[in-house]
Amino acid sequence: MLGGPSFKNLTSPDFGTPPKEQNVLLQQLGYPQVASFNYMLSTGLDLAIKDLRPLDIVANGVKVKVSIGKAKIFAPSVSQNSMNVTVKSVYPNACRQARSTYKGPMLVSLDWSVNGAAQEPLEVNMGEVPIMLKSNRCHLNMMNPKQLIESGEHEQEWGGYFVTKGLEKLIRMMSLMRRNYPIGINRSSFTKRGPLFSSLGVVIRSTKLDQSAVLNILHFLTDGTCKMMFRENNKNMYHVPLILLLKCITDANDKYIFTRLMEGYEDNSYYAECVQNMMRLLHEEGLHSQDDCKNYMGQLFRLKLRQMPAHWTDHQITDYIMNDMVLVHLDNMDDKFNMIVFMTQKLYYVQSTNLVENEDHLMLQEVLLGGHLYNIILKESLRTYMVNMGFMLKQLLAKDSSNVMTREILRKASYPKGFAAGVEMIILTGNLSINNHSAVGQNVGLSVTVENINRIRYMSHFRAVHRGASFMKMRSTQVRQLTPDAWGFYCPVHTPDGAPCGLLNHLTTNCTITDMPDRKLVANIARTLAELGMVPMKQSNVIEKKDYFVTQLDGRILGYVKKADSSEFEKKLRFLKIKGDKVPNTLEICMVPDKKRAPQFPGIFLFSGPARMMRPLLNLATSNIEMVGTFEQNYLDVSIIPSEIYPGVTTHMELSKTDFLSHTAKLIPMPDCNQSPRNMYQCQMAKQTMGTPCHNFDLQIDKIYRLQTPASPIFRTTHYDDMDIDSFPMGTNAIVAVISYTGYDMEDAMIINKASIERGFANGTVYKTENIELAAECHLQRPPDQLEEFIDADGLPYVGRRVNNQEPLYSYYDNNKSKYVVNKFSGGSDKIYVHKVRIVPGMKMARMVRITYRIERAPMIGDKFASRAGQKGICSRQYPVEDLPFTESGIFPDIIFNPHGFPSRMTIAMMIELMAGKSGAIHGLVHDATPFKFNEEETAIDYFGRLLEAGGYNYYGTESMYSGIDGREMKAQIFFGVVHYQRLRHMVSDKWQVRSTGIEDAVTRQPIQGKKRGGGIRFGEMERDALISHGTSYMLQDRLMNSSDKSKVSICTKCKNMLSVFHPATDNAAGPPKLVCAFCQTSDNISSVELPYVFKLLAIQLGSCNINLQLDCKEACT
Amino acid sequence: MSEGGKESKTPMVYICGECHNENEIRPRDPIRCRECGYRIMYKKRTKRLIVFDAR
Repeated sequence: MLGGPSFKNLTSPDFGTPPKEQNVLLQQLGYPQVASFNYMLSTGLDLAIKDLRPLDIVANGVKVKVSIGKAKIFAPSVSQNSMNVTVKSVYPNACRQARSTYKGPMLVSLDWSVNGAAQEPLEVNMGEVPIMLKSNRCHLNMMNPKQLIESGEHEQEWGGYFVTKGLEKLIRMMSLMRRNYPIGINRSSFTKRGPLFSSLGVVIRSTKLDQSAVLNILHFLTDGTCKMMFRENNKNMYHVPLILLLKCITDANDKYIFTRLMEGYEDNSYYAECVQNMMRLLHEEGLHSQDDCKNYMGQLFRLKLRQMPAHWTDHQITDYIMNDMVLVHLDNMDDKFNMIVFMTQKLYYVQSTNLVENEDHLMLQEVLLGGHLYNIILKESLRTYMVNMGFMLKQLLAKDSSNVMTREILRKASYPKGFAAGVEMIILTGNLSINNHSAVGQNVGLSVTVENINRIRYMSHFRAVHRGASFMKMRSTQVRQLTPDAWGFYCPVHTPDGAPCGLLNHLTTNCTITDMPDRKLVANIARTLAELGMVPMKQSNVIEKKDYFVTQLDGRILGYVKKADSSEFEKKLRFLKIKGDKVPNTLEICMVPDKKRAPQFPGIFLFSGPARMMRPLLNLATSNIEMVGTFEQNYLDVSIIPSEIYPGVTTHMELSKTDFLSHTAKLIPMPDCNQSPRNMYQCQMAKQTMGTPCHNFDLQIDKIYRLQTPASPIFRTTHYDDMDIDSFPMGTNAIVAVISYTGYDMEDAMIINKASIERGFANGTVYKTENIELAAECHLQRPPDQLEEFIDADGLPYVGRRVNNQEPLYSYYDNNKSKYVVNKFSGGSDKIYVHKVRIVPGMKMARMVRITYRIERAPMIGDKFASRAGQKGICSRQYPVEDLPFTESGIFPDIIFNPHGFPSRMTIAMMIELMAGKSGAIHGLVHDATPFKFNEEETAIDYFGRLLEAGGYNYYGTESMYSGIDGREMKAQIFFGVVHYQRLRHMVSDKWQVRSTGIEDAVTRQPIQGKKRGGGIRFGEMERDALISHGTSYMLQDRLMNSSDKSKVSICTKCKNMLSVFHPATDNAAGPPKLVCAFCQTSDNISSVELPYVFKLLAIQLGSCNINLQLDCKEACT
Repeated sequence: MSEGGKESKTPMVYICGECHNENEIRPRDPIRCRECGYRIMYKKRTKRLIVFDAR
């Protein structure tokens, strides 16, 4: 961290030359995603493949086994068969421009055997799968800033996302249940799982090293028994009684199982009774030994699990279930047994004490990372691939009369139809086609487009953690609450208001997501713990469990630690953690104490796995930085400043006072002086600001907003410099007068100086790209000797030309119709220039033309602006400079801000900024706006007031002003200074909408909605209410009938029916036939009324349900 | 296939996105750089006089 903000970019001689190395702080943004993808490449994929069940097929008497031996993913490159290409590698920027996908080939080798004889492996090309930027398979990895710029990227590129179909797609971080830790929860939906089910259960999200997860729930039943839930491929749920499950896992006798379950709870007679009862129930079923149980389970599940090979024995099926569906994170049966025993004890503990945990607490959550999801996607796709290959093999073998399994048959069967395209679609759309629910919890919205509206928006995408789509629909607000344990991990300021409020959170600046730890260190932990005094599991049968804490590492019970020695044990372990040579320094040490009012089930829970949130704190015992996790933080005593330390109690201290804020919140000037919701509004608006989103405008294809004249704020936080926002500036320093002048500044409207706008104040540009892809029979060409003014010889517009609405834009020759076609430009009233014309390979055709337009957007009435204190306003008037008020020294304001904006909103930071900006401008300084720097004794107002005085201004920042209308001095002193203003991307030119008559809905005949289609603005129910309450019935009729779907309807006044009236078929041409009522058979009582057409539609629809709608008609009084 | 562009096909000059080589390409030619094989081409800025009103 730097000392304070500085204008170093103004004076630095090497401004503009790329640095030698990238900014570490910025690299952190993409790091968790990149690291998880690299894990997938290095180990995850191999583990996933090993986990897939090999094909085991017997067809026509031939026994064939096929399994995937190896899978490899390569860096993106030009396809093998293209010739004369000097640069073989494909770079992400080429993909963005050509709207293609940054993907690399995936190769798989199939190991196979026929009748037990191993064959030579078969290589299969699975197609190309998307590659994450800056991962180990990306060409940008290891590039220095200079090289990055040469390949069309930014010098600080941090990767972590994919480029699919030209769009930057990020697999959004999502909070999941903390892995491998059994949580005791109370969920009312559990009672619907079956008869006797209670709402209590102990849930564990058991996660393998390949990151695929399985949910197991130990349910408490109201008769005192319990059942374990497991699923097959995360689909069907099965519930198995506890003792049956235990007996399938171990061959120990009843006495052993009973004593193990009762360990530590020997005096709990209710529990003992429950366990005995459960054992008795099993014996009553006639299941006594492990053999009995396994046979029973196998028989039952043979029918359910269809995909098991038919020749498997009952025992094999049971073992498969126990391995692949129950506590999959453990591969040792003894460990599984221990864990189930622990879960049972926790279940009865929770049942008796009612100490349920809350899943909504951050301490029980972790984060889904892109690479981990990618691994799951690949695993499930490969699983489907294997199943399909099995079907094909069976078919091909059955067809083949020679009964010989050949390489050719396997080659045919192993064709990976749609494999890579499927993976690409998941990344592109975010929709999961596979049914891996509990691993992710949702199957839509997994990826988001990384919008680059400005730097802050772009950055915040990488720090956003979503709670999951299913919570969006929830009516209760409980899941949205910010829990105290989120302190330091989730920013309390930076969450959107509205629908995603509290569900979309942003990580704090210092919060990191752990990577996979060194596996050698993890393997070493058990031994280290034993050295520190833990009694290992094997020797634990001699100890009195009541006096010991159970000790778990990643959901595996390692042993027991004596309660009396536990705090000493924890302290020693923490020393080793900080050192990091014996245990990984991302180890999370959660010691839940056994107090009288225990908060959770006591024990020592260690976590070393990936995807956990951690943040650095100062360990006071060693004065070193220690990484602390969400769970462990709850049991530590952390002070914020040294004066808060209680000797002997406080163990940790925050690194800085602002560590609880996110990147975006840290850029707000003096947020401690604002009313808190204003800071939240500013976080939203900072992400909608026009600024400098990129430096390579010529290489961009998205819609880009650019501010032509950005400036560096005078009053800013140190974080602004740390994040190097000066390279991507947004907003301008505006001279602001806080005065109520003319009345054009009421209700958040603001007056802007017209001369300032003409000088370039807040002028912006929008870049937009249009794609043209012609049919195969067409080619671009200008019609001979025509339209030379508009179209170049190649049929495309001139680059650099200003194009007007309805001008010819491009033309082509259509071979089918043998004529030239000219397409016109439609761009409204904006000033639009052709910025760039690109010819790139098309999506369907050989070529596609992309025309980028540059749209000039000078500020106009109706455009939106905001200061950095959540104070937004709409420009209501561009006032001529000669009519504006001016100060003694002759300065005119750029912006007139209405003083009524201050009292209710209490944005003191904006007032301080006004003074600070003014004093900084006088003295040539940049002021530090970091929060908590000033206090009640040394106030910011005094500091900046004295600086103003030193510059010859009023202490409070006020000045005498003269009216621009008549030149008289105003009696009031005007608060006048410099504020950094942002121009927001909401502009009237994109929003205005007008309609007189136009397209109507085909069914209702009412005007349609939508600006794009030329529709109108809905006159809705609330507007209707307003007219009714005003009694303006004529206007109501005008809006809802005359200007909408008025229609003439013929009605039979006798039978009161409007559907029975029809034109009879006539044979004489004498004149138009009279309307006849089908019921009355006469045309005497037919008259015509005006009705909304939807009313007739209603009558027709009711008629279709056999409901007759009758209308009483009276003669209208005239 | 000559009925379409009966006008003599004057080649247009495009700039390669990779090596910045200038390529002459006719209407129905494949879009590829003759030097490096890259398949993204940029159109050159027009040499026609473009005058904007400075108002």
